[in-house]
Amino acid sequence: MARMKFICDAERCIECNGCVTACKNEHDVPWGVNRRRVVTLNDGVIGAERSISVACMHCSDAPCQAVCPVDCFYKTEDGVVLHDKDLCIGCGYCFYACPFGAPQFPQAGAFGVRGKMDKCTFCSGGPEVNTSDAEFKKYGRNRLAEGKLPACAEMCSTKALLAGDGDVLSDIYRERVTRRGRGGEMWGHATAYGRPDAKAQPSPAVKS
Amino acid sequence: MIARGVFFLSVAAGLSACAEAPQDAAHKSGKYAGKVDAKPYEEGPQKLTRAEWERNLRTRADNQNDYKRMN
Repeated sequence: MARMKFICDAERCIECNGCVTACKNEHDVPWGVNRRRVVTLNDGVIGAERSISVACMHCSDAPCQAVCPVDCFYKTEDGVVLHDKDLCIGCGYCFYACPFGAPQFPQAGAFGVRGKMDKCTFCSGGPEVNTSDAEFKKYGRNRLAEGKLPACAEMCSTKALLAGDGDVLSDIYRERVTRRGRGGEMWGHATAYGRPDAKAQPSPAVKS
Repeated sequence: MIARGVFFLSVAAGLSACAEAPQDAAHKSGKYAGKVDAKPYEEGPQKLTRAEWERNLRTRADNQNDYKRMN
């Protein structure tokens, strides 16, 4: 059984925002909602600057799902965390619970009223008929039903952002780290997929 | 007589409010309450078995390995 995951390779990300653009274009995401964004750490520090592409990581033990008062979240058999917008009341609890800041809320009217939550769907739509207009309008395109992977990862020019079955991604990343001899950290991976008490793995020693 | 009856009734009503109902909220693990979502391989442009769909996606994910693509 597949277990869908994202991995962002901070050694490769060049902060081009191609993933952000691909996502917005693919799903016709409204202005002000960013399902994916690129975060830069140590900006301007030579040798220490790293960028990572962040969106919903579809956590193994999703905190958004745990705190939702109307229980609108569910997890597919492939490990993708999705939600039903017909149930969502836009309370924002999921936003406070999410360690990645993934849930987004469009402004639904005057006075900053929040609309229904919107987030990355791993390009797999939501609880509507697959690839239907209703699904596209509410959740965006369902690429998984079309046999494709998320647009952000497929669009990534340096292949810093990887998406797909966790086993395949692990193999790809392992080969990369072995070849280059550094950069084994996977940002947010332990938070999203590890045990709650697990610590991040130290990076392998640099070959001299 | 009526006054005594009213007195006993008011005492009974007043004391009944003294019973303390438990106020601790029990933790309930969420159970999805929304609509059922179809599996990605069942509906849509391609109707495949789960194994076929999974194999296609696995191949596609493996294509992200640029070491394999370049060499």
